[in-house]
Amino acid sequence: MSANGTITQALREAAAQMLSDKKVGVVIGYGRDEGQEFSTPVFLRKAEEVERLVFDDLCFGNLAVYLSRPAIRKMGKTGIVVKGCDLRAVNVLLRENVIKREDVLLIGVHCGGLGEPRLPKCLVCEVHSPTGCDVVVGEAIEQPEVKAEQRYTKADEIEAKPVEQRWEFWQKQLSKCIRCYACRQVCPLCYCKRCIIEKNTPQWVETSPHVRGNLAWHVARALHLTGRCVGCGECERVCPMDIPLGAINQKMAKVVDERFGFRSGFSAEDEAPFTTFSTEDSEEGIL
Amino acid sequence: MGEQKLYQASANWLKSAVDALCAAGVEVLAPTQTDSGKVDLARVTSSEQVIGSYANTAFPLKRLFLPMSEVLLKYEKGENGDVDLEPESAEAKELVILGCRPCDVAALGMLDKVFQWDYSDVAYQQKRDRTTVVSLACTEPSPECFCTSVGGSPQGSEQSDVLVFGNADNTALMQVNTAKGEKFIERLADAVTPAPEGTKLPEPAELERKFNPQKVKGWLDDNFESDFWVENSLGCLGCGTCSYLCPTCHCFDIVDEASWNRGQRRRNWDCCSFSQFTLHASGHNPRPNQAARYRQRLMHKFKYFPERFGLLACVGCGRCLKNCAVGQNLIADLADIESR
Repeated sequence: MSANGTITQALREAAAQMLSDKKVGVVIGYGRDEGQEFSTPVFLRKAEEVERLVFDDLCFGNLAVYLSRPAIRKMGKTGIVVKGCDLRAVNVLLRENVIKREDVLLIGVHCGGLGEPRLPKCLVCEVHSPTGCDVVVGEAIEQPEVKAEQRYTKADEIEAKPVEQRWEFWQKQLSKCIRCYACRQVCPLCYCKRCIIEKNTPQWVETSPHVRGNLAWHVARALHLTGRCVGCGECERVCPMDIPLGAINQKMAKVVDERFGFRSGFSAEDEAPFTTFSTEDSEEGIL
Repeated sequence: MGEQKLYQASANWLKSAVDALCAAGVEVLAPTQTDSGKVDLARVTSSEQVIGSYANTAFPLKRLFLPMSEVLLKYEKGENGDVDLEPESAEAKELVILGCRPCDVAALGMLDKVFQWDYSDVAYQQKRDRTTVVSLACTEPSPECFCTSVGGSPQGSEQSDVLVFGNADNTALMQVNTAKGEKFIERLADAVTPAPEGTKLPEPAELERKFNPQKVKGWLDDNFESDFWVENSLGCLGCGTCSYLCPTCHCFDIVDEASWNRGQRRRNWDCCSFSQFTLHASGHNPRPNQAARYRQRLMHKFKYFPERFGLLACVGCGRCLKNCAVGQNLIADLADIESR
């Protein structure tokens, strides 16, 4: 059996066990829908349904987005399939008290990377093996060393351009935005009950999809994710207009890494820069 | 729709069309490659920019008639307190769209119903009036296509001024449906000749029906309250991708963007998947969860719109299921409803 076949089998067994023991009210994992170019989320409530679970090269989604959804929380304790990258988002949700550890049952998957060719984020993945999960399936994968200079290559590439070219680049990219908010909705860390964009008395950010409004929206989004974004890349994957949102996130992550030596989501006990006061912080101004 | 006439077009018809239209000062939109490798309608000045082989364009035609964001008027308050209103001037230049697909063109019939309903929407109608639609019959429907399930056809001619049946050797058969279509044919000059008496249209590409909208509506009529809505919307993230890429979704929001004494009133796309769409000023939200919002989307397309206008608000282009971040599959959902 292939590595993914073994993982699929182990996931089904683990899910069936926790559902029949009533340890969880729902298991969120991946399933196959013929015709889809990726494996889609499935929500299992009964042990008989576990045949729908799969793990394959196309499990791109970060299911942690569902942990803060009211419809899921109503079901009770949540079992959730997480790759190492997804677990980073779960760690931030724990750190920010959005979920409690006892409310989730984490089913970690040793993941060697997704997509053919491999997704760029998988090539520099530092969490092939998730830690701190309740159950882990698959064979442990040797973690290749990832050098600091490999982490933010998309941001580096754009930063290398003169400022006028960067401005031109982002104007062109952001002018494509149709304000569908798929980037926000798919983001596990955009859990606000009411987003700044929806606050309309007064309207803080213009909702019109002109360059000015789009720029304001994407700057607001980037700033709210600074020091929090875990680089799962879902926003860029789902953007119907192919805006390279990952590069914006990388830039913010790079600044926080350089200034505070902090990278988000590697532990739920992190002291994140924005929520921690330290007299050691440099006082050059706001980030 | 007038009498349908058939013309044969020679292999260089596309070049002739783009050249003749550009020479006459007509704006031409045709499928081109975008910088991210997709195919989409864009302004062309040469037939060489036009992509020949594609299933459909990334975006439907909607945005050409109901733009994502459109200035409806500008206003300025004078020193004496009077307000000057300036309606946005409309583009009157003739526009020809070449090579859109029959499903997207059929959607214009639905938009027409809405924007010519109890009020004739000037901004919309001006754009419709200036536009000639030359559609291209589909020979190879994509896996996500389901036009035949919603009353359409890979070679449907609804709302098309000219429907083109392209051949492998670049020649084409053209079915002319309207006076605007006649004018297009005239501009092609030598590149077209009337088709011989008895010329038959090609057989339509086969596309299996995936559900029956009448049966779907029958279930919708009785099941406003059902677990189906909760179960099938668990994955839905509540973004606007499906609506914004839909050829028939037409909801909009009107906003004023103003500085101290002047501003503009804009019409922007809006979407029933957003929680704010129905949020009242009181804080009450009649569609309080994603299940209610997902239900609205299906009900509107397959129950309310047909009841009001006698047409389904879906043309089966499949963009919603192709672009959904979580693989929400409208075909599967409707087949599920039919089986209930």
